[in-house]
Amino acid sequence: MTHLETELQQLKSELLTMWGLVASQMSKSLEALVNNDKELASEVVITEKRINSFELKIDRDCENIIALYNPVAVDLRFVLAVMKINTNIERIGDIARSTAKFVVKSTSSYDQYILEKTRLLEIYEEACDLVEDSRESFEKENPDIARKIFMRDELLDEINKGAPKVIAEIIRDNPANIEQCLDILSTIRRLERSGDQCKNIAEEIIFYIEAKVLKHLPKSQKRNS
Amino acid sequence: MNNSKINQLKDNAFKYFGIGCTLFGILVLGYFLVNIAIEGIARINWQFITSLPSRIPGKAGILPALIGTLWILGLTAVIAIPIGVGAGIYLEEYAKKNRLNNILEINITNLAGVPSIIYGLLGLEIFSRIMSMGGSLLAGASTLSLLILPIIIVATRESLKAVPKSLREASFALGATKWQTTWMQILPASSGGIVTGVILALSRAIGETAPLIVIGALAYVPFVPSSPTDEFTVMPIQIFNWISRPQKGFIINSAAAILVLLLVTFLMNGIAVYLRNRWQKKVKW
Amino acid sequence: MYKLRSENVNVHYGDFHAIKDVSLDVEKNSVTAFIGPSGCGKSTFLRLYNRMNDYIEGFKKTGKIYFDDVEIYDSKIHIEGLRKKIGMVFQKPNPFPKSIYENVVYGLRIQGMKNKKMLDEVVENSLKRVALWDEVKDDLKKSAFALSGGQQQRLCIARTLAVEPSVLLMDEPTSALDPISTAKLEELIYELKQNFTIIIVTHNMQQAARISDKTAFFYLGELVELNDTKEIFTNPKKERTQNYITGRFG
Repeated sequence: MTHLETELQQLKSELLTMWGLVASQMSKSLEALVNNDKELASEVVITEKRINSFELKIDRDCENIIALYNPVAVDLRFVLAVMKINTNIERIGDIARSTAKFVVKSTSSYDQYILEKTRLLEIYEEACDLVEDSRESFEKENPDIARKIFMRDELLDEINKGAPKVIAEIIRDNPANIEQCLDILSTIRRLERSGDQCKNIAEEIIFYIEAKVLKHLPKSQKRNS
Repeated sequence: MNNSKINQLKDNAFKYFGIGCTLFGILVLGYFLVNIAIEGIARINWQFITSLPSRIPGKAGILPALIGTLWILGLTAVIAIPIGVGAGIYLEEYAKKNRLNNILEINITNLAGVPSIIYGLLGLEIFSRIMSMGGSLLAGASTLSLLILPIIIVATRESLKAVPKSLREASFALGATKWQTTWMQILPASSGGIVTGVILALSRAIGETAPLIVIGALAYVPFVPSSPTDEFTVMPIQIFNWISRPQKGFIINSAAAILVLLLVTFLMNGIAVYLRNRWQKKVKW
Repeated sequence: MYKLRSENVNVHYGDFHAIKDVSLDVEKNSVTAFIGPSGCGKSTFLRLYNRMNDYIEGFKKTGKIYFDDVEIYDSKIHIEGLRKKIGMVFQKPNPFPKSIYENVVYGLRIQGMKNKKMLDEVVENSLKRVALWDEVKDDLKKSAFALSGGQQQRLCIARTLAVEPSVLLMDEPTSALDPISTAKLEELIYELKQNFTIIIVTHNMQQAARISDKTAFFYLGELVELNDTKEIFTNPKKERTQNYITGRFG
């Protein structure tokens, strides 16, 4: 293996480590939310620092690889993709942390009925899956998994779209729930954004493997590219 | 006519001019050789080669002259090669490149052009008289050595110069001394050129007549020289001696002797060319 | 630990001031690249370490140069011994006009080594080290000139390694080679640096970036900047360095 290949392998495993960490942040914050586990939630908040330093290191490593090795073709696309995915994953980490912060601050546990009615659990679980699956797609260099993500993101969009109406109804039924409901609404919004991040990640993966640029194309074209 | 046509004409004109000059040289030489061959080839036989000279043309032979030539060749080689190659190596590899050595270099090259009879006079005074060698083989060989020394030195220097600097650098960089580099790398690499130069110098020595006469080589030698202090004669002198006789038989003898001498000269040049080609194959820069 | 140190070195060739007050330290078992435009003094400085400049007319040096803390221009120093510890590879491959075998053992023969078994072993080890053994092992008596340019250069490295130096000086070792041979040679350098201190002069900045740990930028005889290669190529401290590596001059 050449020197450059070694460096690229290292970069890939660094990103995958950070990715795994963020995936676990997502599932931990979901668990903390459901069980109102404040200890677990603080863990998530503290772990965020590690994710940030990962992001900085990966950025620097990408800079060094480009400066020192002049990668071209697939190697260049790989490094550019890693730089962008790096940012996307860090934002997903932020989303998990924000949720955890809410759990830490909240005064009471969330109402199971509301969680179900708003489909929060559904959207949260799907968001966690999207993070895991996009990770698998990157690790195995499998663009088909990446393509499926475009479709699955639609579910998150759907739940997010329907949320305000449902929330409004619940509040009308029982105004005492208003704080909880607003928390849940913003969580759903954030989760929808995490779906978008995963979509961007999928675009980057397909760019790196197939050199196709799918950014800003309408959904139908992305699915059938 | 445009420029390219004129150029083509000039090109062709020069080509034919060159061919003409070459043919001229070859034809003249060929005419000479054929003439001599017709005269003398019948005379060459075993008796001719192994007999001593005599007043009777039919009985005369070239044995002393041939042996003398071979002796002179051998002795001159033994004296001139070590001194000439050694001096060449010293001047090219060791001597500092200052003004004194520059002057030396020019003078050595000039010496190669000095008429050989001057060397004869030099040899007569130094070797024959002062060192009391008389008209011996040793005196003759020493004199001829002086004559061909500049040729050997220049040939050695040119061959050494042709070895690229990168070879020396590679050797030094591995920790070799100057002598190791010279002995193990430079000399083997330049030996083709040095050997060629030496052989050409020696083949010139074979043909020299004037200096040997001056130092006292005899014209009539009825014995075969057996040691370096013996008196001697050489083929060119024998030929000269026979040509000045009136009898037709001796003219034929001269022609035959010339053929033998030419054979030896061509043989030596042939060896030089063969060796040069072999070495050039091995060493490609 | 510094394998090579230099303090306030100045070099003149006659009136020409070739190296101006350079102080430079080289760490053990690292690769240091000397870069800079033509005529900036990098090759001259490289040759100070094995005293190859001594042969040039009018060469004068002031300042000190230390190898393993020993001043190498001291009059008591045995130059041939120094060159066995500091080997050099040149720009144009210059194998001797001898067989492959004789090329590799030359450095040992001049030290008087004659034992055939030992010489055979050294030949095999050296050629294996430069990844040439498999290609030539069937005919070591073949002339070195029968090899390709890249193979010849690896042969030159093998013969240098055979005398077991601790420092390798490389003066633009790949500039006469094709890209594949260049890549092979760079991988070799990367492996060798575990056991050797290597200094490489190169015109090719990308090469310096790829294989060196530290880079020294020379300009008109001065050492402008010496730093970790990563730093030099992402954030050089001196503007002249930045202008050179971005191709704005030189």
